[in-house]
Amino acid sequence: MSTKEERERIELLQGTLDLLILRTLLLGPAHGHAIAKAIEFKSDDVLQVEQGSLYPALHRLIKRRWISVEEGTSENNRRAKFYKLTPKGRRQLTLETRKWDKLAGAIARILRPAGQEDES
Amino acid sequence: MRQRKRMLNELDEDIHEHIARETQDNIERGMTPDEARYAAMRKFGNVTMVKEETREVWNFVWLEQLLADIRFGLRMLRKNPGFTAVAALTLALGIGANTAVFSVVYAVLLRPLPYKAPSGLIVLHETTPRVGDVSVSYQNFFDWRAASHTFVQMAAVQSVGFNLAGITQPETITGDAVSPNFLSMMGIRPFLGRDFDASEEKAGTAPVLLLSYSLWQSHLGGDPNVVGKTITLDGRSFTIVGVLPPNYRSLDMTDVMLPIGVWATNNADAIKERGDRGDMVVIGRLGPGVALGQARAEMKGIAARLAEEYPASNDQFSVTLQPIRQAFVGDMKTAILVLFGAVLFVLLIACANVANLFLVRGASRTKEIALRIAFGASRGRIIRQMLTESFILACSGGVVGVALALGGIRGLAQLISADMLSGTAVNLNGAVLLFVGGVVVLAAFIFGLAPALHSTKPDVQSELKEGGRTSSGGVAQNRLRGALAVAEISLALILLIGAGLMMKSLYRLLQVDPGFRPARVLTMEMDLRAQQYSQDPAVLNFWQQLIDRVSALPGVQSAAVGSAIPLTNSHGRSDITIEGMALPTPGNYPHPDFHVVSPEYISTLGIPLLRGRTFTDQDNEKAPLAGMINAMVAHRFFPNEDPIGKRFMFGHPSSDPPKWYTIVGVVSDTRLYGLANPARLEVYLSFRQNPRNSMALVVKSGADPASLTSAVREVVQSIDKDQPVFAISTMEELVRNSVATRRMTLVLLGLFSGLALVLGAIGIYGVISYSVAQRTHEIGIRMALGAPRSGVFRLVVGEGLKLAGVGIAIGIAAAFGLARLMSSLLFGISATDFETFAGVAVLLALVALLACYVPARRAMRVDPTVALRYE
Repeated sequence: MSTKEERERIELLQGTLDLLILRTLLLGPAHGHAIAKAIEFKSDDVLQVEQGSLYPALHRLIKRRWISVEEGTSENNRRAKFYKLTPKGRRQLTLETRKWDKLAGAIARILRPAGQEDES
Repeated sequence: MRQRKRMLNELDEDIHEHIARETQDNIERGMTPDEARYAAMRKFGNVTMVKEETREVWNFVWLEQLLADIRFGLRMLRKNPGFTAVAALTLALGIGANTAVFSVVYAVLLRPLPYKAPSGLIVLHETTPRVGDVSVSYQNFFDWRAASHTFVQMAAVQSVGFNLAGITQPETITGDAVSPNFLSMMGIRPFLGRDFDASEEKAGTAPVLLLSYSLWQSHLGGDPNVVGKTITLDGRSFTIVGVLPPNYRSLDMTDVMLPIGVWATNNADAIKERGDRGDMVVIGRLGPGVALGQARAEMKGIAARLAEEYPASNDQFSVTLQPIRQAFVGDMKTAILVLFGAVLFVLLIACANVANLFLVRGASRTKEIALRIAFGASRGRIIRQMLTESFILACSGGVVGVALALGGIRGLAQLISADMLSGTAVNLNGAVLLFVGGVVVLAAFIFGLAPALHSTKPDVQSELKEGGRTSSGGVAQNRLRGALAVAEISLALILLIGAGLMMKSLYRLLQVDPGFRPARVLTMEMDLRAQQYSQDPAVLNFWQQLIDRVSALPGVQSAAVGSAIPLTNSHGRSDITIEGMALPTPGNYPHPDFHVVSPEYISTLGIPLLRGRTFTDQDNEKAPLAGMINAMVAHRFFPNEDPIGKRFMFGHPSSDPPKWYTIVGVVSDTRLYGLANPARLEVYLSFRQNPRNSMALVVKSGADPASLTSAVREVVQSIDKDQPVFAISTMEELVRNSVATRRMTLVLLGLFSGLALVLGAIGIYGVISYSVAQRTHEIGIRMALGAPRSGVFRLVVGEGLKLAGVGIAIGIAAAFGLARLMSSLLFGISATDFETFAGVAVLLALVALLACYVPARRAMRVDPTVALRYE
């Protein structure tokens, strides 16, 4: 919050995190901890999400009505909140994914001549 | 927003659950429970921050925070009542001064004029290089109106005066005779009755008039059936056709308004004579999309054509155009803007002082702030909280400031005469309060932001977390505080230089010899009614009786009448021809002011007689025409000869037999148009040889002249009970009024710069004494190592003087540029007057020295053992 630069970085992260959460929930409802685990696991632990930052993101998605919440019990019979993709969220995911692909493609095209394609 | 509430209520539980799961996972991976829990928490991150951020996702969280901040701020301010009082009072002074001055700025420069689309209204005058702006010839007005395409409408406004008798005591009222389209052009509808009709422009129209709202109220009791009734002015009966609206505002006092045809009926000369420039201005409305420059170019072209066509009356005459707002503001504009700039400076100084206080307190609050950051409060959050505190302080300063301004406005009203305001009132209104609101917010940011940013700076935090006071953590802070003190000093210096320049100007101005002795002279004007005094003997008889009876009053040294008292607005000017001079073009004839006077006039006003004699009772209707000239006429037209016995006549040579005036005396020049304006050519005529209905009485008394007023009034009433007198004043008052704008500027600038000086001194004092307190330890070491007390004294004073020196240098550089803006207010000195600059710099250096003296003495008394024991 203190400098502009820092703020921009956080916003970029937020947007990305939102996308990852939506993608994870496409496979079915999940609780917070499971979402964090899934993101870490799927990305081969490359994306080390500070787990706490998941919660502002979840609340933001709920507020935008891209996901909804259900009370439920988890595998080991513990009470848990299950987050679920809404139809609106599904549409948003398609949109965001397309945007992301475009962005990633564009960046890749710029980076490739420098021989950096292996990095990602 | 039930969802919001539920989500937030369960957030703690959710987080708790999350960490529990992670811990469980970690245990399953083989960690000990303690390790597992610790790893889970580390992976989760800062719980407080997460909660805060999540909360912020939802709406109007900021409102809750704001309320909490306000509560916290109030608590902090209550905890430090001394700090709060000093800071709020400092701000109140700054804000109060700004409020008071802005109320004048608003009244004079901003308050909308009560006309339709006032920005398209232009005031036109004729102008000639010999005199400057003069009234418009009615004949020229007709030609302007016919020829102009840039103006869609034009109206002539002729000032008129009447004697009103028979309702209360006799009095003189003023009014305007206007073209019939005037009111509709201005977008004004009569409050009662009708507007004028186009047919009422022609001479011979029935005598009708509109009353001003205030005259209707004061003299006719607001009679709702007043339309159709008659009123007697100058012995003539006028039918009242309506009443002007209460908010009607004109360039001069308007008691009545009549169609110009009524005026034309009785002023046939003005209609026929193109050279007759009475007391007329023209107001025009520009066509849509026409720029002032376009209109000016067109009008100058028209005036040039007229000058060629009618050289006898128009040679050398052109035209000036000014927006109507400018005509209302007059010479007040520069003064007001200078004062407005000055109070803004005072406010900035006040803000700098409060910022300094905040910094000092910020230093003692670093622990609290460090603790809150450690608990996960973000820097932005803390800055917001500190700004809220500043804002509360600024608001309370604003409230007290407005209360101060109420008194200030009353004081200002006494400094600013009513005619300087031309019909507007200075008061506290919505616009002014809006401005105060803006100032409060601005001030809160100005004095709050720097300290807030500073005390939450990460490096300051890390250093101060150590809790030590020996660290050099104060370096950045001291630099900031030093910069604030430097800014205060330079601002104060600029104000002091402004005040110094004004003071010297006013002094120079009052040193100007006005050419007359204003002490103990009373003056009042009279306008004899045309019907009762239509014959010269009656007029002369009235004036002679008046002079004789007033002279006989106890306490009166001498009494006289004259047609053009210095420093008033009644002046007469005419071309003259001097016998034997080479004849110039019509526009280049000598154009002196003329005075019609009684014999004692020169001695009553104390105008020195330089050569020859003054008029006597023998210069009467039977004697040859006599005249006096002033020194300027003598120098210009009789440079190497004795003017006594030479002759001049009014007007240009023509086929009529010339009426020569023989010069019998030469008197000193007088400053007819104010002390700052140069003297002009003047000639004097004997009142018995030029009877006039409109004259001023001047009375020299042995004591306070104002005490004679009622006795003189009684004399007038005893000669003619219906004769009103007006414009009663002492000559000293007229002199004072002529410098009123400058005096007001000086008084206020002096006040503001004094305030700035005190605040600036407090600022330096604060910085130096804080620095001494901080360096007690260092000073102790120095003294323990054998530094002499005088060395310590010099060290501290040197620090203060360094700040003062930088401030003075910056201030002088800035004042060098800024003082030019007020050069139109100065008189007899340049805007970069060396004496003033040097004097003010020395004064400020001395004040700075004084402000350092106390803390320096304190530093000298530092006891090394006590200072060192702190560690």
